[in-house]
Amino acid sequence: MRTGPAAGFHGYFHEAFCYDSDEEFLAVAVPFLLDGVAAGEPTLVTLGDRTTELIRAALPAEPGVTFLTGAGLYDRPSAAIRSYQELLASLTTDGGPQIRIIGEMPAVFMGVTWDWWARYESTINHAYDGYPLWGICAYDRRTTPAAVLADVARTHPHLVGADGRHLPNGTYTDPLTYLGADRPVVPDPLQLTAALVELTDPSPAQARRAVYDADQGNLSGDEVEDLVVAVSEVVTNALRHGQPPVRFRLWTGADRIVVTVSDGGAGPKEPFAGLLPVDDGAPGGLGLWISYQSCNHVASYHTPEGFTLRLTAGNPHFSDLAPDRPQLVA
Amino acid sequence: MTIEARLPTPYGHICWGYDDPAAFDVRARSYLAEGLAVGEQVWFVAAGRPETLLERLRAVPGFPEALRRGAARIVPLTDAYRHDRIVDPATQVRAYAQATEAALAAGHTGLRVVAEATPLVRTPAQLDAFVRYEHLVDRYMRTRPMSALCAYHRPTLGDRTLAELACVHPQTNSEDVLFRLYACPPADGCAAVAGELDPSNHDLFATTLDRADLRPVDGRLVVQADNLRFIDHRSLLHLHEYARRRDATAVLRTSRSAPARLVELLQLSAVHVETSR
Repeated sequence: MRTGPAAGFHGYFHEAFCYDSDEEFLAVAVPFLLDGVAAGEPTLVTLGDRTTELIRAALPAEPGVTFLTGAGLYDRPSAAIRSYQELLASLTTDGGPQIRIIGEMPAVFMGVTWDWWARYESTINHAYDGYPLWGICAYDRRTTPAAVLADVARTHPHLVGADGRHLPNGTYTDPLTYLGADRPVVPDPLQLTAALVELTDPSPAQARRAVYDADQGNLSGDEVEDLVVAVSEVVTNALRHGQPPVRFRLWTGADRIVVTVSDGGAGPKEPFAGLLPVDDGAPGGLGLWISYQSCNHVASYHTPEGFTLRLTAGNPHFSDLAPDRPQLVA
Repeated sequence: MTIEARLPTPYGHICWGYDDPAAFDVRARSYLAEGLAVGEQVWFVAAGRPETLLERLRAVPGFPEALRRGAARIVPLTDAYRHDRIVDPATQVRAYAQATEAALAAGHTGLRVVAEATPLVRTPAQLDAFVRYEHLVDRYMRTRPMSALCAYHRPTLGDRTLAELACVHPQTNSEDVLFRLYACPPADGCAAVAGELDPSNHDLFATTLDRADLRPVDGRLVVQADNLRFIDHRSLLHLHEYARRRDATAVLRTSRSAPARLVELLQLSAVHVETSR
């Protein structure tokens, strides 16, 4: 029997908690954890350093709570989903009625790479629904950008207020609808400069060669290798499933390599493309998922040219040009 | 230009696709001259009358004299390849092994062959058997002092057939052949793979693996991949299935880091990547 607001609920009880003070945070987080321990439920914390310390200070000694560092879990959305699914599967092998997790996104993810984490928040409604999970996603209103809070409001079916009340979220949007629309993608300033390489209808081998040739030693060998894997998969998909012409563009910065691959088509139809491995037979699904696992950021968007995937190796957290941000046209 | 794998120990097994017969003759003469210069017995195997073939080789320094003393032979195609319809790979390798041992017994340092084999690979069945033979004789050449330049006329055979032949040679002049599978020293494993494996050659890779018929040793199919610049996830999936069908684990030895990550990601239990830096 599940405890708390998820009693009688099947699957993932995905709840957002937006708070304005440390006191509000603790007022919800501490009972959530202690009640979970008291009920014998696996109870986990995946918070950042500051909030973890707040929690630790507020909990009794040896509270029975498991603290996980976010580092291994929150690297890339597709990797986070995979790690969480493995974790949840391991925690449900004993048939326990519920798992409780309270977590938060690192602040750096709420910047120019938020688009794929927003997709993550929507996708996990589906990806974790096979587990009896009550998850609270904590967002500090003092530091969370308004655009992020707007996405939080659309991706969480349940809300918990600072007063501890649990409510259904009227602004929740079904993942199939939410993911079917483009997320706003912040232009990388490199994209506003002339590309170092531009290829039309390149073979995957030519695209791979272009990445190796552009490597100036600023990235680790592993990062370059992973980008080559992603580029090969994305170009293959564009040639096979997109519409010509396929355009490959590459830029190098001091701390990153950025590649865009565009084609004249509409892009993948599968809403969870890239974040979940698509079943065999779906066009390009596994290759896109591998690409998402292999880059530090992947953005997808539509332009007058068609559909574009932007892959970033190295540091994806560039300085945003807002408010003078131009439209992405390629 | 010849695309060569960086081989740990040099041995010569070259696929030479050509359009211009005169250009092929130039290459054949130089290859045979190199052999004579290092004391090898050299064979020129091709279709045609012996007198005509001899005319094509007259420009090789000392060739008539080498013919007289048995250091060179002109061999009509049907003599060298006994099964004139579909080659039997094992029988054919035995014939060249005997010829190599005979050359050594006669005081030569080895056997070097130029074989213009286009007439032997005209049908799919011929081609299938001949590629199997090419890989088998490649293994022999890894262990004994035999070398060969296998010539094929591209306009007669087409690019696909030439690719099927070229990719089982460690060296080829076919620049459009993206990968090669060839023998490695037996102590090092079952085979070596070089070049790039991606969607452009999935089908060719699968066909070539089947024809190479790699045999596991102690449950392991060791594949040397030091010269493999790229392998995509579908090729790894194929290697996984190939190893599973043989109740083996494919051990991929590579200096690249990406294959190990892909194998872990795809949870390919029948592929183990050994990464060396």
